[in-house]
Amino acid sequence: MIEIQKDQSFIQTLTNHLDHPDKLTNWDGFKLAYQAATFTTIPQFDGLLALDHLPHVDFLEHQVDAANKVVHQMNGRAILADEVGLGKTLEAGLILKEYMIRGIAKKILILTPASLVNQWVQELNEKFYIQAASPRKKQAAWKDWDVTVTSIDMAKRELHREEILSIPYDLIIIDEAHKLKNHQTKNYQFVQSLKKTYCLLLTATPIQNKLSDLFNLISILKPGYLGNLTDFKKKYQTHAKNNGNIEHIHSLVGKMMIRNRRKDTGLDASKREVVNERLTFTEEEAALYQELETLKRNHPSFTWLTLAKELCSSREACYMSLKQMKSNAESESENIYDYFIEKIGQLPHHVKAKRMAEIIEQSGEKFIVFTEYRATQFYLQWYLQQHGISSVPFSGKFNKSKRDWMKQLFKNKAQVMIATEAGGEGINLQFCHQMINYDLPWNPMRLEQRIGRIHRFGQEKNVKIYNFAIENTIEDHIMKMLYEKIEIFKNAVGDLDLILEQIPGGSFDQQVQSIMSQSESQGEIEIKMNNLVSYVEYSINERRESS
Amino acid sequence: MNTKPHFDFLRQFFNSYECPVIEESSHHLKVQLTSQMDEEIMNRPFYWHYMKKMNRPGDPMRLTFTHTDHAQDGGIFLHAGTPKLHTIYQTAMEKGKTARLYEVIQQPIQNGALTPWLVINLLLHYRGKQTKDEPLSFGLNLIHGTLIKGMMECLDGHDFDRKVSDYCFPMTPVINLKSAYSRIEKFVENYTTTLDDSWIKDSLHQLEEEKSLLDSFYASEDIGLDQFTQEREQLDTRYRPRFSIEVINGGIFYMSQQTSQHLLMKKQP
Repeated sequence: MIEIQKDQSFIQTLTNHLDHPDKLTNWDGFKLAYQAATFTTIPQFDGLLALDHLPHVDFLEHQVDAANKVVHQMNGRAILADEVGLGKTLEAGLILKEYMIRGIAKKILILTPASLVNQWVQELNEKFYIQAASPRKKQAAWKDWDVTVTSIDMAKRELHREEILSIPYDLIIIDEAHKLKNHQTKNYQFVQSLKKTYCLLLTATPIQNKLSDLFNLISILKPGYLGNLTDFKKKYQTHAKNNGNIEHIHSLVGKMMIRNRRKDTGLDASKREVVNERLTFTEEEAALYQELETLKRNHPSFTWLTLAKELCSSREACYMSLKQMKSNAESESENIYDYFIEKIGQLPHHVKAKRMAEIIEQSGEKFIVFTEYRATQFYLQWYLQQHGISSVPFSGKFNKSKRDWMKQLFKNKAQVMIATEAGGEGINLQFCHQMINYDLPWNPMRLEQRIGRIHRFGQEKNVKIYNFAIENTIEDHIMKMLYEKIEIFKNAVGDLDLILEQIPGGSFDQQVQSIMSQSESQGEIEIKMNNLVSYVEYSINERRESS
Repeated sequence: MNTKPHFDFLRQFFNSYECPVIEESSHHLKVQLTSQMDEEIMNRPFYWHYMKKMNRPGDPMRLTFTHTDHAQDGGIFLHAGTPKLHTIYQTAMEKGKTARLYEVIQQPIQNGALTPWLVINLLLHYRGKQTKDEPLSFGLNLIHGTLIKGMMECLDGHDFDRKVSDYCFPMTPVINLKSAYSRIEKFVENYTTTLDDSWIKDSLHQLEEEKSLLDSFYASEDIGLDQFTQEREQLDTRYRPRFSIEVINGGIFYMSQQTSQHLLMKKQP
């Protein structure tokens, strides 16, 4: 006999109300109440009622499928691992909405990096009609708020921890869940001890280094599903090369994880067009660049590397470093820095800045410009202003409200946004479809993240990306070696992040850096870079064949 | 998408609660709220608190609902998920929770005795691996205990009022409310055993499967006891199949002998 929970209170209410006729309704009111109730019923087990409730959002097929699968086949505990920009947040929101409509999720906790809290609150409100709260400093009413968005760091603070752990949440959503890959961290243990009925983990990179990352994520959702950790390690890690095992685990994980890829979703409708712009230094600039090489002889190799890289970006960036170096240097060697500072002061405007202004003026549309240096950011803003082009700065160091404000300004007022690297994560700018990579990062994944800001779900136009590099400088090497050979732009990177992290002997950035700084000659740089690139190519091909 | 039922509902709702429709066309509906309705659905308690303190009548708002997303005149796009619509559903359910109503009798009839019925509308929630619910409507004759299913549909077309019509008088119930209600509960209980139980089997199966996974994980000492107990409870919440009954509304309805007879003829259970 199946348990039936009864409504204990109603008949008492009715008896009371019969003694107080003013609390009784008329026939119309009675009928309306019944009608209202039937409108809000859930007529069937299957299907997504949320779609009828959200006619103003155009969900893509793969998003609807994902939500359906999570609710009806995976029973509400799953990893959403779509590639960057396919709308994981929308999938999670749709699932959340469905559970709310079905009346089985009331207390909901969403844990996300601090920089994304506002964005979640805003999207839940605008797209899903869900009012979410987020705690500020000391104001937090975890018990009263039905839907709460916050960061793990905030939640696990002494002040809040106990209270949060005591609440039986119906649904917990964890964004950027790959940060939980290590089961020995405080964050992991915190998440594991949360009371939750349903749980969604969102990540674009479910495996960052090893298979045990995945084991730990699955253990949050369905402990025991992949056996115990010791056996798991024995079975898969020691024979990682054995493809049979890998396939086995893929099929197991497939029941817990949804991973849509760009190429399968038709999101390719918006194409990327990449223009590599090779610019030439003016004579003065080129001469100075050559002269910098003299530093190589009697200074640590990174001195030259830093200055050369910066000179390719802007005079200002280079100047800032020189000044810094001068203040750290001993008095007799100050001269050399003064010399360079003097020389830099005489340079004309940077070729890249000129080219940038040209492109922007010609097109007249919105642009996002990425640079690695704050000094360059300031310079470019000034330079654009001189040309009558409005721009806003953006940096990951801005606080939440300033970020939102800058984004709003860019959307409504300014033509250009100039962002530093740290601004790469956590803003969505689908309304803009042109990007200038003023300097290129040394890790292709970081470039992918930049592009992901505009080439993502919701982008309706083709995305145009300009990459700047100056001929016969280190930038030229980076462009030739990394970006052209790895063909990063043609296939949006799925597994590349995994490969880049797995290169023996340090991360990809470190590799490039040491090649650049330790090589004696151009030729050596080229050979070493070629080796690195072919290693990456090899790993990619191997992976493609196996999948 | 068909939004007509929502508009029909709103029109009826505002009519019944004395909020006049001031404009209506094929693409929109505009109503003037009363102060009371404004207080109930517009969620601006501070305004009304202030107005009352100042002894002022206040200025109730007007609401415009539209059929489409194109917000030309700032109207509310009405569809199944419109938040305001759901507020109104809630208000309708709160306001229409209980009733004592008498059938309206136009011409004097031979036998003026009105038979009391307990009318109960409820939602039967199914919760297990998946969820759904089913609205059920019952009427129980409080004189001789006959039970009718689909009561609201049967009452469609009859008119009721809060006052007794002329030349009529209500009979005193023989069965008291509590036991009448528990008869209905009993009936629902029986009803649940007649349903297709594949969802119950599915849920139990899933529950057992995941329990054993968890047990093995605990046995291999990958999680501690606290964690284990917590996970066990969570599995239970997620999969254990169960029903729950939630009463939407209910009340005592007094009906003429003729109507009562008529209902009994249609008797469904």
